[in-house]
Amino acid sequence: MDLINQNLLTILILLPTIGAIGAIVYKAVTKDDSSQRWFALVITTLNFLISLLLFTRGVPAVGGFEFEQNVPWISAIHTNYHVGVDGLSFWLVLLTTFIMPLSVLCAWTAVEKKKTAFFAFLLLLESAMLGVFVTLDLLVFYLFFEASLVPMFFLIGVWGGKNRIYAAVKFFIFTAVGSLLMLVAIIALYYIYAGAVQGSGSFDFVEILAAMQSGKLVLGQQAGMLLFLAFALSFAIKVPIFPVHTWLPDAHTEAPTAGSVILAAILLKMGTYGLMRFNFAFFPDQARETAWIFITLAVIGIIYGALVAMVQPDWKRLIAYTSVAHMGFVVLGMFSFTELGMQGAVYQMLNHGVSTGALFILVGFAYERRHTREISEYGGLANVMPNYAAIFIITTMSSIGLPFLNGFVGEFLIMVGMFESNILNITDSTNWNYVAAMAAGVGVILAAVYLLWLVQRVFFGKVTNAENKKLTDLNAREIGLMIPLLVAMVVMGVYPRPFLERTDLAIKTIEARVMKSAGGAVEKTELDTKALENR
Amino acid sequence: MSNFLLAQLTTPNADITLILPEIVVAFAGIVVMLYDSFFPKQKAVSGAIGMLGILISALLLVLMWGDSYPGTAWSGMIAHDNLRLSFGLVFLMIAAMTILASTLWLEIEGVPIGEFHALLLFATFGMMMMAAGNDLVVIFLGLETSSIATYVMAGLRKGDLRSNESALKYFVLGSFASAFLLYGMALVYGATGTTNIPLIAASVGAAKFPALLLIGSAMMIVGFGFKVALAPFHVWTPDVYEGAPAPITGFMAAGPKAAAFASFVRVFVLGFPLVAGAQAAGILHETWTSLLAVLGIITIIFGNVAAILQNNIKRMLAYSSIAHAGYATVGFIGAGLAKTAAERNEAIAAVAFYLFVYAITNLGAFAIVSLLGQRNDRRAEFEDYNGIGFKAPLLSFSLSVFMLSLLGMPLTAGFIGKVLVFRPALESGNVLVVSLVVVAVIGSAISAYYYLRLLVVMFFRERAVDWTPPRVPSALTTAIAAAVLAVLYFGLFSNGLIHKFAGTAPKAAEVRAER
Repeated sequence: MDLINQNLLTILILLPTIGAIGAIVYKAVTKDDSSQRWFALVITTLNFLISLLLFTRGVPAVGGFEFEQNVPWISAIHTNYHVGVDGLSFWLVLLTTFIMPLSVLCAWTAVEKKKTAFFAFLLLLESAMLGVFVTLDLLVFYLFFEASLVPMFFLIGVWGGKNRIYAAVKFFIFTAVGSLLMLVAIIALYYIYAGAVQGSGSFDFVEILAAMQSGKLVLGQQAGMLLFLAFALSFAIKVPIFPVHTWLPDAHTEAPTAGSVILAAILLKMGTYGLMRFNFAFFPDQARETAWIFITLAVIGIIYGALVAMVQPDWKRLIAYTSVAHMGFVVLGMFSFTELGMQGAVYQMLNHGVSTGALFILVGFAYERRHTREISEYGGLANVMPNYAAIFIITTMSSIGLPFLNGFVGEFLIMVGMFESNILNITDSTNWNYVAAMAAGVGVILAAVYLLWLVQRVFFGKVTNAENKKLTDLNAREIGLMIPLLVAMVVMGVYPRPFLERTDLAIKTIEARVMKSAGGAVEKTELDTKALENR
Repeated sequence: MSNFLLAQLTTPNADITLILPEIVVAFAGIVVMLYDSFFPKQKAVSGAIGMLGILISALLLVLMWGDSYPGTAWSGMIAHDNLRLSFGLVFLMIAAMTILASTLWLEIEGVPIGEFHALLLFATFGMMMMAAGNDLVVIFLGLETSSIATYVMAGLRKGDLRSNESALKYFVLGSFASAFLLYGMALVYGATGTTNIPLIAASVGAAKFPALLLIGSAMMIVGFGFKVALAPFHVWTPDVYEGAPAPITGFMAAGPKAAAFASFVRVFVLGFPLVAGAQAAGILHETWTSLLAVLGIITIIFGNVAAILQNNIKRMLAYSSIAHAGYATVGFIGAGLAKTAAERNEAIAAVAFYLFVYAITNLGAFAIVSLLGQRNDRRAEFEDYNGIGFKAPLLSFSLSVFMLSLLGMPLTAGFIGKVLVFRPALESGNVLVVSLVVVAVIGSAISAYYYLRLLVVMFFRERAVDWTPPRVPSALTTAIAAAVLAVLYFGLFSNGLIHKFAGTAPKAAEVRAER
């Protein structure tokens, strides 16, 4: 037990990889291509159960991490395998391990060719994603961040829809371009650190942050901004924030159901997580200065995503665009730099993972039955598939933000946070934060419009298309895999406290770090004292 | 009298043991040649002799690592440092891989086996001399030895026009470049009065004719630039690489290029350093570093953009090798700008590591391309690879690993290599060099397109015509498996090798990390 506790995160990362290798070896030995799904299910479930051990330890102290491990990896360049969880990453790790068994289940019968490879890639992807969320060494973080691309590239490219090759390559290149600049920034930071402490450089998040906080490492205006932008671009592409979002609809639409689920539920969170973990901690001043840009882009994303989603004839593409809108909410909350807003952002990350993941799974069910994603092909499904309709509508409500379901809590917190925020107040008289919050409110209304309209077109009315008449309702596996998601939606909507408590301290720390040296506040008091002196 | 003469002749510190690794390789080449002339029908013996020679030589090199360095040998003609040892190992690895990877090709094409192996060993000997040469003359001799052997190898497929064209082009343009190099060396000799690199370094500050030194170094950049295929001296590469038989193309893209880098680094980084207080040296140093940075930028952009447009995989790899020369240049300039000897050694080790990784990856890729290309490399278009991914999973997996490593994806050795060469350049903080790194990074992103394209055609497309996976002889399997394992292994556990190349003790560094 002690052994497990000490190496918990390493076990979480390695177990899926071992599973993937095992599945391939099993296939090579037995030539059996059909039992790998059991393999994948067992491994991912086991990983989920192991990840529950994270609860055995409390919330770490400010700046601290639990389940920490720090061993040298390449000592020649001072990079260490340093992992740990804190409030920020805690739920994301659990979200990952929670979603994975479900996505294995939703691919249970949907995958028809090369099953071994499919499940092996799924498992490898889990390793990479978990690595991203727990790594505290910048180089190793980058390593996992990039490594997650390859399995997803294959998942989209081999098992995707008609336009899969275009989508896969676009996905890969968009993300790779952003992250390579981050690599340069990481190495530059290494030397800036070396210069600041008069010693060897470091890739360690904790060490660099400590040097920054103690004032040993002070970034120049220009250098700080360039580094901030290099990190931010790579994460913005991943989130995705408005102008660099174009890879997302393609990738989501073409990916196989399990791929879309993971993409929406977990991969996108790597971007928002990275922004909060690295950009805010390392470059608080730059984050504050550029907040108005990100807030503007987030608002555009919310409205634009909603409007584009509204006119999609393709069911899955519609859901994909809702991701653009929802992730806009997350970015908005983060850059409000208020405790509530940032709490809401983290909460909304989880919500989006659960709700949008569920929506993609549900679309997948319909697609498996009819092999089309055109909304116009459906209609009146509630008559033939009542259970399916019920589950879909609950999920929709959660995504819209109906009170007592999870989406409400996140969106509410984000909007309150934005209202309270003074990050946009350049002078006292303008209240741009109200504008941003209200625009976000419009986004919520639009979300209700496009999702309810979708529900109306797909589920209500008479069955117009003859092919839909003989559709079967959900089977036990399908209902079974939706139940955990539905439970999560309700629990997170009714009783968010335990979730928020875990993240509370981490969020407060980040907020304090960003707002501590808040230029506005300092300048204002300076002005006031000067005014007093003048009198 | 005769005793006196003998004493005179032996007094130079002619310590055979210090050049034993090189001698062993040359000797193995001669044995192969002799054996082949007596038993021309042999199939595997000459290869085995070659492998044996390479192994012994590698063993000797590794044993020499433990030495306390005497610095130079043979009256300063031969260097004895990490640069030589690490590059020497790289060349031996390249030669061994080439022998293994070419077995099937030799069989199919009916090429004279003994000649091929002898030439390969002589080329390797030449390359090792290039890394070991501490004197412009020795470097030039090594360069010519390896070049002439390679010219012949490029044309080994006598019946094929493209192979002939390749050899002839390589020969004519290569000689041209050698002439530039030699003239540059002569000018540098004129300015400094010596061909010995440490002595040049000592006298650049007080060079009699600084202009001569500048012109000489510029000409040497042209000469070496040709050999490592820096743009705009790269134009020969695609034609030569496409025309030459695939295993030899792999060898050419890895071996002579790495060797040219070894001497390039030695002459420029160690020969033309920044000397405090000496204006001439300062100008020279700044000129060559900025010039190389500009060439590096052009090379990376050009290599990557041109590679995108290729439909032939050998040509694509040829252009990508141009881009990789650009990436290696990043580390090279980093070495040139290093402020302390330790940093400089680390940067040189980074270049060596980068080229080591590039060589493994590239040789592995060419081994597979040659295997799938069949006779005359007919099947080397992207289309020929359509949908083979799940039909020959192991081969395609290996090729994918190589492509991802060339792309610099994490968990492959290519990633570590890139991080290592970008590091010293970023440390300098020089604006031009930082832009070079940014260009290199953008270039890597562009390269994602054409490396992934191979993955796309192999795994994502469907095969229209029937295709049976080729028979893979055991030597080739060994080569490919070794390359895949090395790429993955050094992606995770590169620490030891980096320390070995840089000549730093891993122990001390680890103590620091634990703190």
